[in-house]
Amino acid sequence: MIRSGFLSLGLALGLALSPALPAAAQQGGQLKTVQDRGSLLCTGHNGSYLGFAEVDDNGAWQGFDIEMCRALATAIFGTPDALQIIPVSWAQRFPALQSGDVDVIIKVTGWTMSRDTELGLQFSRPYFIGPFYVMSRKDIGATAVADLEGGVFCVNSGTTVERVLADYMEANGISYEPLAFEKGEELRAALYAGRCDAIAGFGPFLAATRVNAPDPEAFEILGDVLALEPEGIAVRQGEDDFLDVVNWMVSVLLYAEQEGITAANVDEIRAAPPSPTVERLLGVSPGIGERLGLSDDWAYNVIKAMGNYGEIYDRTVGEGSRYALPRGLNNLWNKGGLLYPLVLD
Amino acid sequence: MDIAAPPKESLAAWAHRRLFSTWFDRIVTLVFGAGVAWVLWQVLGWAFLGAVWSAPNSDACAGASGACWAVIEARGRLILFGLYPAEEHWRSALACLAVMLTMGLSCWPLFWHVKRLAALWVAGFGLFLVLMRGGVAGLAPVTAEQWGGLSLTLFIFCGVVVAGMPMAVGLALARRSKLPVVRGCAGGLIDVVRSLPLLTLLFTAAVVVPLMVPGWLQGDKLVRVVLAYALFFACYQAEILRAGLQSVHDGQGEAAAALGLSPAQRVFLIELPQAFRNTLPSTINQVVITFKETSIVTIIGFFEVMASGNAALGSGDWGRAFIEVYVFLGLVYFVFVFGLSRYGAWLEARMRRGQRH
Repeated sequence: MIRSGFLSLGLALGLALSPALPAAAQQGGQLKTVQDRGSLLCTGHNGSYLGFAEVDDNGAWQGFDIEMCRALATAIFGTPDALQIIPVSWAQRFPALQSGDVDVIIKVTGWTMSRDTELGLQFSRPYFIGPFYVMSRKDIGATAVADLEGGVFCVNSGTTVERVLADYMEANGISYEPLAFEKGEELRAALYAGRCDAIAGFGPFLAATRVNAPDPEAFEILGDVLALEPEGIAVRQGEDDFLDVVNWMVSVLLYAEQEGITAANVDEIRAAPPSPTVERLLGVSPGIGERLGLSDDWAYNVIKAMGNYGEIYDRTVGEGSRYALPRGLNNLWNKGGLLYPLVLD
Repeated sequence: MDIAAPPKESLAAWAHRRLFSTWFDRIVTLVFGAGVAWVLWQVLGWAFLGAVWSAPNSDACAGASGACWAVIEARGRLILFGLYPAEEHWRSALACLAVMLTMGLSCWPLFWHVKRLAALWVAGFGLFLVLMRGGVAGLAPVTAEQWGGLSLTLFIFCGVVVAGMPMAVGLALARRSKLPVVRGCAGGLIDVVRSLPLLTLLFTAAVVVPLMVPGWLQGDKLVRVVLAYALFFACYQAEILRAGLQSVHDGQGEAAAALGLSPAQRVFLIELPQAFRNTLPSTINQVVITFKETSIVTIIGFFEVMASGNAALGSGDWGRAFIEVYVFLGLVYFVFVFGLSRYGAWLEARMRRGQRH
């Protein structure tokens, strides 16, 4: 998610410092550095970002981004516990990566051109497509944004969302009545009080707004996507070997979902692999590990410990969680989404 | 000279004289009395009568008219201990107690000697570090990234005040030095640091220093932040102390010199004690502000009590109970700040004793 205030501070700092990368960012060998240390340093949050990085009653981290950290730790070490979650704020994430406080940023971080080119970091392929949706009151009975013709939309004044909504409505010829608020709290209160028919916003924000409503059942997130922001996993520039591991970790999670391999049935499938690719994926025949500098059963370990992409999504932000964020664009390519595995040859 | 106390007035007589003597007084008393009673009744109803004390999540509170204290039952440990491993919470609790005890003891006049105070704080901090860090005496090691909650807030606060106060004395004296270079440097440092926002200073200490400085010189992130914060505190406190030093009449220093006291004795026995006494209200002010501002470290990823409060309400289960979490946090801050204020008042009364004639 793009946050303007502190982000610009972080960007400015990163900009000022990127030419003088420290010893921590030596070319290559980052995977070896992590392996020698014995644990992965991954980003947490300074508080909570609902659904993506939260803390449970015992002080343990959970959420979609945290599960991705755990999956990466499992790929490298065979166990999700070889992981240290370092709490960092939004502003701190890029400098923290540069200084080596963390190995990797998995923190709903949009892949933008300025970040990619100016901050001395590189992104993995998107692991989450951040959508902007519309959420409406259920009693209106709308199933698409077009059904809300002439309705009252609550928006935060002067935000990206306001512009995204206006663009979408104009492009689709839908008339609406915007009701602008200065603060997020006012916006939520107005929605809960029934002053507007719908609000627009970043998917996870809408899910959090709904879950905190007096009656979450009264609201529904509509499937129409107003705009999207692809979120990537960031590592330092030049750490190609490490980025390979990140990319293939994401790919393996997606491939497992495509092939219907879950945490529950992975042992069964490993005993009788249906295809040579699955055989390679689960380490029955060699190849998947060595080329990345990992063991051949790393993908098996990840699926066994974390499940496939769909399982992770479902239990953290999807239907199996309180947020019930629709899969939407984050579904596989053959189910109407934008995600796809790379070719495992 | 003692003045005889005035004769005691009965409560009824006092009430009649102060609250009900004229018809206007009676109306004002009744209206305001009713207003206060109504507010109290509302608060009572919300906080106690209609409150939900135990529930698996905030859904159970949706129908209740009162507070959802169940959030404190479920998430209270997270607020107080942050990310500290659950099975080791007792260590964090003990560490908290150790620091509070140290704070309490250093308020006791028996410890008001440089050596005793130093020994007390070395022991207090030592015990805190052993408990929090572990790695010795069979305690499992816990990295500073996992510290959090109240014990982290107290550690930062105490670290800042304990490290900042001597720095402040040094800066205040340096700024009054007769040597122009010393005076100029101290004045320049104070003015520069005061013109920087605290956030920038802390961000630099936590995030930028590791990019500039070789690894062996970096030290722990927490230590860097506490030292940067202490410098910030010292620059403000130095100016407060300088005001105190200026309020001490020149004649006192001259008299001390005439009695054969060395310059150091003159400063530490005559001038500084009076400067501290004269500036006590502003000093307590500064300390209270520092305590409340410790929550700023959350922006550089420390899980102090405010951040862990945010984490506590930041879950699908408890997001609706944010008022209760903030009330609880407010009470935690209130206990400490009110304690500090009362201690300041007591200290002032005690120090005035010498001046009462």
